[in-house]
Amino acid sequence: MIQLTATPISALADEPIHIQATGLNPLQMVVFEASLKDEKENLFHSQAFYRANEVGEVDLECDPALGGDYVGVHPMGLFWSMKPKKIMTRLSKRDVINSPFQVQLKLYNSDDLHIRLPLAAPKASLTVERWYVAPGVTRTQVQEGRIRGALFLPPGDGPFPGVLDLFGTGGGLMEFRASLLASHGFASLALAYFGYADLPPQLEKIDLDYFEEAANFLLSHPKVLGPGIGIVSLCKGAEIGLSMAVHLKQITAAVLINGPNFIFSHPHEYHGQVFQALPIPLHLVSINALGLLEFCNSFGDPQAEGNRRFLFPIEKSQAQFLFIVGEEDKTLNSKASAEGAIEQLRCNGKNNWTLLSYPGAGHLIEPCYAPLCSGSWCSNLPILWGGEVIRHASAQEHSWKEIQKFLRKHLIPGQPSLL
Amino acid sequence: METLPKPAGQVKLTVTPVSGLADQPVHIRVTGLHPTQLVMFKASLKDERGNLFQSRAVYRANSAGEVDLEQDPSLGGDYAGVHPMGLFWSLKPEKTFLRLIKRDVMNRPFQVTLGLYDSASFLDDSRQPRASQIVERWFSCPGMQRVPISEGRLRGALFLPPGEGPFPGVIDLFGGIGGLVEFRASLLATHGFAVLALAYFAYDDLPKYPMEFDLEYFEEAANFLLAHSKVQKPGIGVLSASKGTEFGLAMASYLKQVVATICVNGPVTISTIPLRYKDLVMKPFGVPAEGVHVHPTGGLIFRHHETNLQEEQNQQRALPVEKAQGHILFIIGENDECVNSRRHAEYAVDRLKRHGKNNGRILLYPGAGHLLEPPYGPLCFASWNLSFPSPLVWGGDTILHAAAQEHSWGEIQKFFRQHLVLSRSQL
Repeated sequence: MIQLTATPISALADEPIHIQATGLNPLQMVVFEASLKDEKENLFHSQAFYRANEVGEVDLECDPALGGDYVGVHPMGLFWSMKPKKIMTRLSKRDVINSPFQVQLKLYNSDDLHIRLPLAAPKASLTVERWYVAPGVTRTQVQEGRIRGALFLPPGDGPFPGVLDLFGTGGGLMEFRASLLASHGFASLALAYFGYADLPPQLEKIDLDYFEEAANFLLSHPKVLGPGIGIVSLCKGAEIGLSMAVHLKQITAAVLINGPNFIFSHPHEYHGQVFQALPIPLHLVSINALGLLEFCNSFGDPQAEGNRRFLFPIEKSQAQFLFIVGEEDKTLNSKASAEGAIEQLRCNGKNNWTLLSYPGAGHLIEPCYAPLCSGSWCSNLPILWGGEVIRHASAQEHSWKEIQKFLRKHLIPGQPSLL
Repeated sequence: METLPKPAGQVKLTVTPVSGLADQPVHIRVTGLHPTQLVMFKASLKDERGNLFQSRAVYRANSAGEVDLEQDPSLGGDYAGVHPMGLFWSLKPEKTFLRLIKRDVMNRPFQVTLGLYDSASFLDDSRQPRASQIVERWFSCPGMQRVPISEGRLRGALFLPPGEGPFPGVIDLFGGIGGLVEFRASLLATHGFAVLALAYFAYDDLPKYPMEFDLEYFEEAANFLLAHSKVQKPGIGVLSASKGTEFGLAMASYLKQVVATICVNGPVTISTIPLRYKDLVMKPFGVPAEGVHVHPTGGLIFRHHETNLQEEQNQQRALPVEKAQGHILFIIGENDECVNSRRHAEYAVDRLKRHGKNNGRILLYPGAGHLLEPPYGPLCFASWNLSFPSPLVWGGDTILHAAAQEHSWGEIQKFFRQHLVLSRSQL
């Protein structure tokens, strides 16, 4: 009898699952398929071909996929290689507290598929749950003063190291990374800064006083360990994170994912002082063969002499930095930015940085097992984020662990050095 | 973003010619701008089903307030660099994965609206152009005839140049798209060839999903063309692309009346559906499902499946090109993501050489994708295809593909003229 198992059947979205099939014919070619519907009814799916061994078993932990959405030994490949049915749709969990993503796993005889379409019922199927919160994690809507966001607290009394979670130019509030961090013991504040609640609908400037308010809110919370907090930030969020790390002593550790080492488009303001932004010459944007916008070459040369005034004086920061770079980032030349920032630190005799640079990874480096989104609509524009499926997945797997290690090392006193 | 006051002079956009053949270039110029002003050109076209295709490019006016696309570089947009026809071959569908194909080739041209905008319009579609011009792109010329063909089993359309002829005859075969695709045949006819666009499945009463193809159908077509009063004897040419090259090459191998064959980006083995010729049945190679790779967009990439052509048994199943009495030209896009065309073509030419024959030649274009078509047609990187639930990735680098189309179209005509047009000594 054909059996399909997945262990554990319900887990955090960043935890691996062991998938196996038994009861097949010896050397039978089968297809595993994973599919899910997101909260807007968008379909995502992936397929991979495996050959059963002499006793009719397939074990995704040690057997190689022979084709489909990935090849090679990748126990979690079915998850991170999922693709949207509607091109340029990004997978993003909105309600992180009340429901998981339900992923259907199906097993087909390879003959029962004609170019990815099943012609017969699957031989076996089951549903796995992928949660964005661990049991006991709480979510509190935050509406204190000007700040708008969601605070995720691990179960227990704490105190817990505090982390501010910032996403990029899409606006609104992305909560899934903060909720996962809380599931790993961090008090995480997912902070919105435009396009949410009564915040400005468009991004016009970066008001560091607002972000300082958020940092102080977090630090003053009874369950948050001080004396400083960490930041986990992507893209524009990383630009803000770097700015905060320069100006605010409250920032002890900053994780900057694919962010610029300069201010672009929107000026920063802090305590009345204005820091100018590099304007983006949009005429240098290039449009790729499928019509997506590649911004990475449209910034001119931020490290050029004439653009020095837009660079962050990172050497003034007392924080520890973890730069995470996807070398196939098509939105920003993240590698040059990280290297530029690091060079500035070196020139000033500082070594408070670590660089993790991932070949093949794109812009949207997310917690592990998230499917690669190499292009999607953002603010009504079709943006190419870049990345190669397999290498992006391994970058996410590696960096997600490193981010947590880095935060623990610098936010929890007495943590042994594991990096 | 630059917003400048209206210039004192009149902004003038000229396109020459305003109406012309789709495979001919146009000269686009603007005068009356501010010196060094940044402007954006946008081209848009609606196909016959109302689908919108657009392209845009940003240029900087010179000190006299002029832009000349024949000498000035685009600074960004759908292409960069000096490319006088860039706005045409970088057109993209608003709905991803659509392919641009002209269906009515005789009665109506494609109308391309060229607009000149302030550069601030680059990402903002709401603004009005400073100047605009509609350009007509025709797929046939005055005096040409289109004769629908429904003779015996044959289904297609015959394009005859103006005049008495006789003209060198060519059969035009498209690929797995099925149906009848006419625009390449009609454009070739404007260059003095009598071209039969031949359908072979999913058209009229031809089956949508045939169980078998019959080379005698193609032989019937060759004989029909040769028998036509306006077609030169004693031999004809075949222009075939993609799946069509299986039949083109089979015709070259088995039919002596085929004296010049061009294979664009196709296999030299039969694929998926068997091909019969009288008593002989050529068994197809399939692509095992696990051999299909998936592009990050979800599109399917078929090129990676490697039929081992060196294996003895497979050699016997490849088309016997050594039997061909005419000349064969392989036109290959190196970035073809659908077929490993280069490998197939090299195998065929190598096989000819091993049989002491010298009648095969390869034109290899770096950066070009699968869908190499007449010049100025937009690169189609990936598109929906009737047999598949996901789009197929064809591949190609926009700029290199455009250059390949321009060059290969000239080579196609030269090859047919060289081998089909009778010289004085042959008459």
